[in-house]
Amino acid sequence: MSRVELKQLRKSYGAVEVMKGIDLVVEPGEFCVFVGPSGCGKSTLLRMIAGLEEQTSGQIEIAGRDVSFDEPSKRGIAMVFQSYALYPHLSVRDNIGFGLSLARRPKAEIRQKVDAVGEILQLGPFMDRKPKALSGGQRQRVAIGRAIVRDPQVFLFDEPLSNLDAALRSQMRLELTELHARLGATMIYVTHDQVEAMTMADKIVVMNAGRIEQVGTPMELYQRPATPFVAGFIGSPRMNLFDGDVARRMGCDVYGIRPEHLLISESDGRWTGQVRHVERLGADTILHLDVPELGALVARTDGNCSFHPGQVVQASPQPDMEFFYAAPG
Amino acid sequence: MKRRQYVIGAVSFAVAFVIFVIPFIFVVINAMKSAAESARLDFRLPQKWQFWQNLTDVVQARDYMLLLAYFNSTVITVGAVTLLVIFGALVGYVLQRRPSRFSSFVYAFVLTGLMIPPAVVPTIWVLQEINLFKTLHGMILIQVAYGLGFTVLLYRAFIASIPRDLDEAAIVDGARPLQVFFRVILPLLEPVTVTVIVVQSIAIFNDFTHPLYYLPGRENVTVQLTLYNFQSQFVSQMNLLFMNILLVTIPPLIVFIFFNRQIVAGMTSGAVKG
Ligand SMILES: Nc1ncnc2c1ncn2[C@@H]1O[C@H](COP(=O)(O)OP(=O)(O)OP(=O)(O)O)[C@@H](O)[C@H]1O
Ligand SMILES: [Mg+2]
Repeated sequence: MSRVELKQLRKSYGAVEVMKGIDLVVEPGEFCVFVGPSGCGKSTLLRMIAGLEEQTSGQIEIAGRDVSFDEPSKRGIAMVFQSYALYPHLSVRDNIGFGLSLARRPKAEIRQKVDAVGEILQLGPFMDRKPKALSGGQRQRVAIGRAIVRDPQVFLFDEPLSNLDAALRSQMRLELTELHARLGATMIYVTHDQVEAMTMADKIVVMNAGRIEQVGTPMELYQRPATPFVAGFIGSPRMNLFDGDVARRMGCDVYGIRPEHLLISESDGRWTGQVRHVERLGADTILHLDVPELGALVARTDGNCSFHPGQVVQASPQPDMEFFYAAPG
Repeated sequence: MKRRQYVIGAVSFAVAFVIFVIPFIFVVINAMKSAAESARLDFRLPQKWQFWQNLTDVVQARDYMLLLAYFNSTVITVGAVTLLVIFGALVGYVLQRRPSRFSSFVYAFVLTGLMIPPAVVPTIWVLQEINLFKTLHGMILIQVAYGLGFTVLLYRAFIASIPRDLDEAAIVDGARPLQVFFRVILPLLEPVTVTVIVVQSIAIFNDFTHPLYYLPGRENVTVQLTLYNFQSQFVSQMNLLFMNILLVTIPPLIVFIFFNRQIVAGMTSGAVKG
């Protein structure tokens, strides 16, 4: 359990600045998720915290100690890689115990710690197998076990679930959340999947092009996105965003309304449009509308609504659910 | 389709038979003959089989020179191959993992070593200057120098197929650079290492010209050079020459038969991801 603090962290590759001054505090025991589109610098930031990538300038503090120039192994972190990065020539047991054996801990102690971790992650039956003989989910657990056994102050995860199929992913999401509750450790988790971010995070950090766009709890980001970028990134289906003339007519630079905050009716409403396409998801229905006044508009309504393509409908925003942004992001 | 494969198979087999097997049979037959018979150099079976007689003659020739030659060749081969594996893997690792101006320079150097033919006389001067001429360790270094380019290339290509995440995971686990190499990377290099060991040990064991240039002297004789025993001195003793050929051919042949599967695996496994 430790606090992580980043101060004016920058990173350039040659002349290209990919990290443009990051200030961030992750509180002890927090589950902090970095989200953002591909290439925005999430991995780079995580790897700088891990010490695998050196910052160009700025400072990293873990547990109140400046670790900016420490070796990765001296920072009190453990990292889980997207590719798992298990040592193929070692058994599960030796994979988990690798760090301890490098530190020349006594054999008995290693065995006891590794067994304890195997217990937590239910790896018992696989302890003597090689990684090759494990499924994706099991490999992922071994990778997590290798992190746990180091007893780190901070766990770092770089898209650990992106190689798993949807069902396994949601199961592992749950397991990770439980693990976090059980260990109480600080965790920093990188993903580009906003569902993972929303379901697991205590705190979400939305990144864009090497900058932090907004930091907040999942509901804060959903209810009060600070910029159009965050507004468009958090929430599914994504918020309808309009700029240019449309927004200017409403007195702002960017106007946003979430699909679930549109009321659709056949009789009256603010905008009139034609249903172009209907997506039925069971519990609810996604309507794609052509509104002459705005352009394309996506709305979410009841699962058993009776709209059909070609139909002319009316849409109005729920009061207080509209977003008006000044300068476009 | 089947038929065509059959034909191609048969043709390749026939070619291989003519190129590899017939000469070998010729050597074996003539190694069993008496001196007079073998002087005719033909394929007729020996009238009198004298295997043991020829064998002991060859081994005892010139004061058991063949045994000394086996010893020398083994020392050179083991020494050179050991150094080749260690340096080839280490250099290949650094070249692949740490791209920089310096490592591209070194890589160009390695390639140059492959492309430019070695010059014998200046090499001998250098060896003489540093007192390594006519010594086994000098010969070991020569063999390492000749083999290193190819070895580095093989290792480098193979290491490129090992994900970098593994190194980083080991670093996070607290491994120092040499530990990353010896505890994580080296064990994964087994397929190429087998290839390097087999290919290089056969090449070095079978080497004729380099020991001839760089390792003169009776006490420095290597197995391939023992062939001169029966060519220059006893010109008529073709049977002993062939017996000698047979004896020096067998060790590499055994190595090859045992390891040929792994050799092919090692040659191709790194190639996929280049
Ligand atoms: N070694 C490098 N040299 C130059 N540029 C790099 C290097 N590594 C990363 N970058 C650049 O830094 C930026 C951030 O990369 P990073 O891998 O952190 O993105 P990411 O947010 O993790 O993306 P993804 O979701 O696709 O993993 C990218 O634009 C990338 O091109
Ligand atoms: Mg990434």
